[in-house]
This record gives sequence, C-alpha cells and structure tokens, in this order.
Amino acid sequence: MALLKPNAGAALRRGWARRWASWSVVIALFGATGAAARAEAAISAENQVKAVFLFNFTQFVKWPARTFADAQAPIVIGVLGEDPFGPYLDGVVQNEKIGERPIVVRRYRRLEDLAECQLLFISRSESARLEQICEQLRNWSVLTVGDSENFNRQGGMVRLATESGKIQLRINVTAAKTAELTLSSKLLAHAVIVAPGKN
Amino acid sequence: MNLSVPSRAPLPLRRKIRRPHRPATALLALLALTAVIPRAAAQSDPVLPPPSTLKKLSVEQLLDVVVTSVSKRPERLLDAASAIQVITADDVRRAGATSIPEALRLASNLQVAQIDSRQWAITSRGFNNLFADKLLVLIDGRSVYTPLYAGVYWDVQDTLLEDLDRIEVISGPGATQWGANAVNGVINITTKSAKDTQGSLLLGGGGSELRASGGARYGGRLAPGVYYRVYGKYSDRGDSVRPNDRPSNDAWRTGQGGFRVDWDTAAGNTMTVQSDVYDATMGQPGPDKIRANGGNLIGRWSRQVGESSDFKLQVYYDRTHRRIPGSFTQNLDTYDVDFQYHLPVGSAQDIVWGLGYRRVEDDITNTLANAFLPPRVGREWLNAFAQDEIALSKDRLHLTLGTKIEHNDYTGTDLEPSARIAWTPDRSQTIWTAVSRAVRTPSRIDRDLYSPATPPYRIAGGPHVVSEKLVAYELGYRIQVDPQLTFSLATFYHDYDDLRGLEPLTPPLPFPVEISSGLRGYSVGAEFTADWRVNPSWRLRAGYTELRTSSEPQPGSIDRTSPRSAGHDPNRQASLRSLFNLSAKWELDTDLRYVGPLKNQSVPGYTEFDLRIGWHPTEAWELSLHGQNLLHDHHAEFNTPGSRREIERGVYGKISWRF
Repeated sequence: MALLKPNAGAALRRGWARRWASWSVVIALFGATGAAARAEAAISAENQVKAVFLFNFTQFVKWPARTFADAQAPIVIGVLGEDPFGPYLDGVVQNEKIGERPIVVRRYRRLEDLAECQLLFISRSESARLEQICEQLRNWSVLTVGDSENFNRQGGMVRLATESGKIQLRINVTAAKTAELTLSSKLLAHAVIVAPGKN
Repeated sequence: MNLSVPSRAPLPLRRKIRRPHRPATALLALLALTAVIPRAAAQSDPVLPPPSTLKKLSVEQLLDVVVTSVSKRPERLLDAASAIQVITADDVRRAGATSIPEALRLASNLQVAQIDSRQWAITSRGFNNLFADKLLVLIDGRSVYTPLYAGVYWDVQDTLLEDLDRIEVISGPGATQWGANAVNGVINITTKSAKDTQGSLLLGGGGSELRASGGARYGGRLAPGVYYRVYGKYSDRGDSVRPNDRPSNDAWRTGQGGFRVDWDTAAGNTMTVQSDVYDATMGQPGPDKIRANGGNLIGRWSRQVGESSDFKLQVYYDRTHRRIPGSFTQNLDTYDVDFQYHLPVGSAQDIVWGLGYRRVEDDITNTLANAFLPPRVGREWLNAFAQDEIALSKDRLHLTLGTKIEHNDYTGTDLEPSARIAWTPDRSQTIWTAVSRAVRTPSRIDRDLYSPATPPYRIAGGPHVVSEKLVAYELGYRIQVDPQLTFSLATFYHDYDDLRGLEPLTPPLPFPVEISSGLRGYSVGAEFTADWRVNPSWRLRAGYTELRTSSEPQPGSIDRTSPRSAGHDPNRQASLRSLFNLSAKWELDTDLRYVGPLKNQSVPGYTEFDLRIGWHPTEAWELSLHGQNLLHDHHAEFNTPGSRREIERGVYGKISWRF
C-alpha cells in the first residue's frame, strides 16, 4: 500500500480507494459464503479410503521387535503436519488390535515434535521438507506413507496415489528393506513397485 | 506433464451505466444466486459404506473403490486439441529470466521482440507491434491487456518469478472459452498456491543491464488448511542504447508487493484471496519520467458439486494509473466477475458453461498533442459461453463444440464459435484439427483517438470501426516417441477481416485520416517443438516457427498507409535450449536463438546466446551467474532505424536463500 501513497490524496478524492474498500467487503462476504458451505463438510471419499489403508498397513507390515517397548506396546500411527483424516481415522482404529497390540493415532505438528511411531503419514503440508524428513527417519524402522506427487522420489516408502479415480499403492521396497520392515506379499501383489529415486 | 484445466477468462457485454455502485450490486446478485447452488447439490463425493465395512475389504477390493470422478482428471498435454506450450517454474529459473517477457521467449510459438529497456512487442501468429492487440494475457485469472489499445503494458506485469507455477501459451484463437481478445493466442500465467510457498525466501542480485534486484517472500499458516504468503520485490534496470552507442535514457525502477491466502478444505472447496500493488518510474526522452502504479484484489472460490461437477467463481478489481508526460495520464478501474460450471453428462459428454461481466472506468487527462475523446468513459462487456466435449469413440476420438456470445458497448453482439476434433489413435500420439472464429472488439484507440487534441484534426477518431474478425483453420500433430522424446507440430491458416487501418477523409490529400476497419489479411505458418531428455541429467528443447503474414485494403477502401504498419514479423525463428546438470550441485544451461529479419522495419535478423551457471552448495542456497545476449555488444530487435533502440549484452549474478 505504501507504494500507492503518493497518490493517496487524489485517490481518496476520486473515491477509488473507497470503492476498493467496498469491494474488500464484497470479497469478505464471498469468503463467508464459502465458510458456511464448509460447515457441512466431512472428509472426502478419497481420504476415507486412505485412512482405511493406514489401518490395513498395520496388518501387512512386520516391524523389528526392538521398535516396541514391550509385547503390549501399541502400534502408533503418526500423522505429521496438516491432518487430512480428522476423527475418521481414530474411528477406524478404535478397538482394533494386532495380536496383543492396540493401535493408536498420534498427531505431530512438526518434525521436531515427532516421537516414536511405527507408521508415519506425512501430510502434503510437509512436502517441502519431505527429503529431510525421510532422511532423518532412515534408520528408525518407520513405515513412511504419503500422498504427495513426489513422495516416492523424495524417499517415501508407500505412496497412496490417485489414478483414474482409484487409489493406487506405489511402494519403494528398497527403502522399506533398508528400514528393516517386512511387507506382506498380500500387499505387494497389488502394488506398483518403484525403484529408489523414482516416482 | 499434466495440463491443468485452465481458468477460462473474460467476458463481454454492454449497457451504459454511469453509477459506480452498480457493479457491486450486480455482483451481489450473482453471489446470492451461486450461494444457492451448494445447497441444491451438497453431496460432493462418492458415498462410501461405513469404516466397519471398508475394513473388511481385501487390499484388492479396496483398491477398486472409486474415490474421485475420472472425468475431473486433468487433461494430458499430449491430448490437448490446440497449439499449447507450457513453461514451468523450473524452465523460468534455468533460463535466468528476470521478467515475464523474458520468460515468454521460452515459448517458441510466440514472437517476442524487446523494443527498448522496458517495452516489448509480443504476439503469436503475427501482426506484432508495440501495440500488438490480438493476444489475451491473464495473470492468476486477471486479464492484463488494457482497454486503451487492447495490448499489454509489459513493464508493469510482474510477480516474484520464484512464485510462478506455470505459463501456458496457446497460439491460435481461444475465444470460445477465453473470450475477448483471444484472437491470435492466450497467455495464462499462474502462481503457486500459498501452501507451496511456505517458509522464507530472500533474493538479491545485480549486473550490467539488470543493475540491481531484490526480493523477499514469507509463507506461513493462519489456521489448519489456511496458508498465506507475502512478498516484495524491487528492480532497477539500465538504459538501452541508440544505434550510435549513446544511451537512450530509458532506465527504470519498479517495486511491487503483495499477498495471497489459500484455503483448501477436505470437501473440494478451495478459496483464494490475493492482491498486488506496484509502483514504477521509467525514463523517456526529456526530463520528465513516466510514472505508473496500481494494484489489484482478486477473490476466487471453486467447489466440487456432486460426484463430478464443479464450479468456480472469481471476482476482481484492478486499478492502474499511468502518467506519460507530454502524452496523457490514465486512471483505469476494472471490475470483473466470472463464473463457470463444469458438468459431465452421461459417460460421453463433458460440458462447461460460464458467464462473465466486466466494467471498466477509464479517465484520461489529455495533452495538446493528442486526445482520447470523450476523456472519461465507462464501458461494459457481458458474455456467456458453453462448450461440450463429446467422446465419439471412447479415448480415441473427441469432438469439442462451443460458442461464446459477447456483448460490448461499441459494436453490440459477437458470436465466437469453434469446433475441434482430437483423434488419439494410441496413447502416444494425437492428431487434432480446429476451425474457429474470434473477434477483437474495438478499444479506445480504435474509436476515441484524435490528434491534435482540438480541430482541425489530422487523425479524427474512428466512429465507424467495427470488430476485427478472424476465422482460423488449424491442424496439429503430437507424438511421444518414447517417454524421453516428444515432438509437436501445429500448422495454421488465419483469415482476417476488418483489420484496423487509416482512411484518408479528403483524398488525394493524405490527411486528415479517420481510423477505419479497412484492411483484410491472412497469416499462415507452422510451429514445431521437440523435447528430448537425453539422459537423466541432460535435457534439450528445440523450437522452430515459420510465419508469413500479409494485409491489403478491402474492396472499396482507399487505405494506403497501413498495410506496412499492420505488423512486423520475422519469417522464421528458431531456438535450441540445453539444460544440463553437471553434478548434483552444478547446473549449466544455454539458450541459442535465431530471429529472422523484420523486412518492413529494416531490422536485420539476429542470433543471440544466453548462458547460466547455477550452484547449489546446500538445499537452501542457490548462486547463479547469467549472461544474456552474449554474442553482440548490442543488437536490434524492433523498430525502424530512426526510432530504434538496441539491446545490450547483459551479465548478472543472483543469490537466493530459502530458510
């Protein structure tokens, strides 16, 4: 706005600044309309299916025993960054157990907050730092899952891609092996296997 | 290479309204109308069974659940039935472009000529001029051609280039969807969502022609799903030179700032509010400088409706002020509303329809030398368009039929229909053909220009000017030989009527003249591109365009002055770019281009060469060194020898830091 200052006096006289202000009000109104529309929103079908896949992975992946404190320790599904699933994911894993282990969901706003987890969904909001995140998790035996476009290329293990209206699994098996994770053939049979560094 | 469904733009219609409050009223009415739509069709997604059922599905069954509509899938570039080229953000960075016009040199289907330090002549398919008036240019859905002369003031069209998402350049008419002025082509510039520009960025650099430049951007999050960025930039550019080596006093400085807020919700709602303001001071012959400033405010809302439909509503306000000492001062306000709705019908048809309204209020302070009369006008445009893409044979043969109806205050209603056929015999090649009609509706320079400002006039306005009309015939072919190698060829014949000319009022005396629609003409040519990823670290891109244009007086016209000045186009131009990653940290990029002579301006053909070396010591830092136009001390790209300015060799360095 400072850039316009030399003309501010003349502008006010002509009333265009006033009109600008009135248009701002109109656009704010238009924002409010959208907000009202949003109130009825639930999570999309796409994210519902993705949430169910997160749960499925807990059945099809074997973690090294050392990643758990004891035999009853829960399997933790972490969601890093902007959470696209909301309470839906909590509902999906509620009362579920893999052997003795219950499944819990934890949310981490930033990488710095990250605590122990077995499976980490890395939200699109973190895609700018994805490479850094995957690098940091490399020796942690964490199954990294995401849906951003370059997720595999930047080091992520399982990408939930949307192709022709359906979910497609794209798995970097090498990265999973490096992290000492064992993926069930039931999972791999239906996935697209991608080479390291590729999409 | 996905081609996002482009934001179709503008709009025209008429009615003489003087009250400044009316556009807001019209807008509110439109808002009230659209607010009803989401309620009428609130189910925005396929409805899935409860999680307990989903959990019982096998992996295979779960992978078979349809989660989004197939028809919404973005069109592949390879399948597009038009002569489109896409410039990505990475292309712009690696070309070392310092402005939008420089970035446009990357599209080989454009004719781009730098006139002096700040002015450019840019068009596609010929009839190029400082006032080239047959191109529609949009920045984030905002039309930036001025209704003063239907061309673009390139010196104030800017953004932080690091925030660019892509530039789509479509040569040939796009009037059915895009509307007024999309006669010879459309340039659609989009910036990234604020979600993709999080964190801090600092930029600085300088050199011989771009003397100094700097920029800063910060992106953050306001609330879950709501992202913003703010930016500012400054640049200081030096003089061009006269052919006799003396500087031409056209150095200029410009500052710009702005913000963008994006809000994505899970249910297919996205909202954007963005704004820019700028101020520029530009040298010209004489002691007084040109001053230009302005700003814009845009609101955009798109929403998915039902399983596979969506709509988009956009409103914007744009203000520009320009004072050219000795010539005129202009204050221009633009109000624009654009709505479009997309819905598939059955499995074989995909319909898009839309409505648009625009009002401009133009206030010119004239000088003695020339005048726009009346000095102050309000003009309105209204349009409606509908287009249906019909799958004649699934995945193989697509027919797209559409038309736009535009109403403007000068000439009434124009119809702009088109028919396009795309045949995709297999996934790797497309043959397309199109016939379309487009019009360029009169601008103020066509109707309102008088010189001098008081009678007796030498140029006595253009009371009889009508819309320029084009019928275009296009045929194109694209083939992906393998994932690394793509070729594309577009050929065209454009047939123009009622092109602008000057008609002597008292022949045989050459003056006074009246601006007229007395010319007709044609252009014919071919645009070829090749893209070859030689290996993972080396990419080559080539472009070649062949072009012939011609114009002549229509029967009954005695126009003798204009055919020579209708356009200044090279017969051919060619470019070869190489993008080479020397290592993970070093990049070496080169760009060789040839532009043929402009015969009717005696501009010789020229070959020029750009070089860039980029170094990324870490993820956060980038240092680069650029050489522009390295082959000559200075070279001419446009204008007759008397008024010609030449473009000097330029070298600059740049540092960018992300954190």
